[in-house]
Amino acid sequence: MSDFEPKIVAFCCNWCSYAGADGAGVARLQMPPNFRIIRTMCTARVDPEFILRSMAKGADGVIVLGCHPADCHYIGGNYRARRRIALIRMVLEQYGFDPKRLRLEWVSASEGEKFQKTLTDFVNTIKELGPTPIKEEK
Amino acid sequence: MAFFDRFRKKEKDAPKAAPAKKEAKKESKPMASSKGAECVMKTPESVAAAQLKMADLGALLPGAPPNGKINLAIYWAAACGGCDVSLLDVNERILTIGDMANIVMWPIAADGKEHDIAEMADGSITVSIISGAVRNTENEHMVKLLRKKSVIVVSYGACACHGGSPALANLIPGGKDELLEYVYTKTPTSADFQAEYNSSGAVIPQSEYEAPEGLLTLPMLYDTVKTLDQVIDVDYYVPGCPPMQESISHLLKAVADFAYNGVALPPKGATVGVVSKTLCDQCPRRKEYRRITKIVEPHQIDVDPDLCLMDQGILCLGPATVGGCNARCTRIGQPCRGCYGPTPAVQEQGASALTAIASLFPVLDDDATIEEDAIADIMSTIKDPLGYFYAFTMGKSLLKRHVVEKGGK
Repeated sequence: MSDFEPKIVAFCCNWCSYAGADGAGVARLQMPPNFRIIRTMCTARVDPEFILRSMAKGADGVIVLGCHPADCHYIGGNYRARRRIALIRMVLEQYGFDPKRLRLEWVSASEGEKFQKTLTDFVNTIKELGPTPIKEEK
Repeated sequence: MAFFDRFRKKEKDAPKAAPAKKEAKKESKPMASSKGAECVMKTPESVAAAQLKMADLGALLPGAPPNGKINLAIYWAAACGGCDVSLLDVNERILTIGDMANIVMWPIAADGKEHDIAEMADGSITVSIISGAVRNTENEHMVKLLRKKSVIVVSYGACACHGGSPALANLIPGGKDELLEYVYTKTPTSADFQAEYNSSGAVIPQSEYEAPEGLLTLPMLYDTVKTLDQVIDVDYYVPGCPPMQESISHLLKAVADFAYNGVALPPKGATVGVVSKTLCDQCPRRKEYRRITKIVEPHQIDVDPDLCLMDQGILCLGPATVGGCNARCTRIGQPCRGCYGPTPAVQEQGASALTAIASLFPVLDDDATIEEDAIADIMSTIKDPLGYFYAFTMGKSLLKRHVVEKGGK
């Protein structure tokens, strides 16, 4: 299992986490290269369909990163998002996925270090879980 | 925090606005917005305009078509038979369909058999109407045979279009073996039967049996229930559980116009008998945009006959479902379960409904400080979200079936 390199989709909100990721890059913080960032305007823009489609196409994990509560550029977008994510996690669990494959974290524009820690931790979690069960079905 | 409080107050007060104020808003809004119908609030007139009308079929079908009768096949795969019965909803025109078409196959009502179809020339059936999902070898063989012999194949009903209720079997972790074992040994009636008659061990149907007279076979069940268009090429879709008579009339009109007048058929892949917007446009209930904290069933409360069901805390799939049924269920106080499937703009009806319903939960005063676990507790008021949001569309969903985590190291 040691040669398993997970593929992770990271949805970052434009105002905080994408800037946070940028900060992590500028500061040259080391982190595993297993994730692909998709920039969305807000975490609330992440339609559950995006997450389900990522999982269906073989992503090993999905992480949604947004502004801290009360920091949302659109006032309440992250409050909506966290309710949706809680519900999608229930749905994924019913499908048979480990709910740990979907994570929601808050990373602000200045938190490059937290971005690095969060992603490293998430990659390790997914490495422990193993590849997505979708691939083995086919 | 003062800024946020102001925001929340506005949200809380909004639903309590006096009805009179609401009326004034309704009148002023259409004039203020010149952007088009999307921005206009629902009015009795807009609801009436959004209803799907019966297709104008003119006189009864006038005798045989000029080029002779067409051949019509109607088949059910994994279906309950409700779709076959719903075909009778074309009212008195059912009497003259015999003038337009030879019914070469209709297992529920006519005599055509599999070998009769197999002997026909390819393309000799003009229209095949197939209801039901594909879940065993017999279903697959028959729909492939009908596809070969037909010019037009219509995917008819929720099961054929989106998987319907049979596709919920995809969520059984053990697949067909677990399904058969449960049905034939675990349900109370079958458990009693097995104990009484098969004391040496439970008998479960096998796909092959070596009898003294020769080999007997039964169709083999699949682990995954498929929609019709995942197995064969489909020309038109008529969704619904079952399709309503307005939808059926549009299908009949398209076929009759083609047979009698040579009018071009709709473009391939079209969904016949639906409108372009959601069910909410057809539903006469008043929307007050209330926030909900608890989900209830219609029998647990006194349902307000005029107020939106979502405002009353009843899960309704109307915002995620395409209109076409003229909101028959919500008119009588039952929530929409989504049998007409998603609008053309989305693929995942369940995800669409999930988004709409998750947004109904209010932002709490301490939302900025509570943990994700607390949010999960709040959302757990929705029991069985997968079964509810995907009640009719599991077969067509992105993930399609239950998966099993193997566990890594």
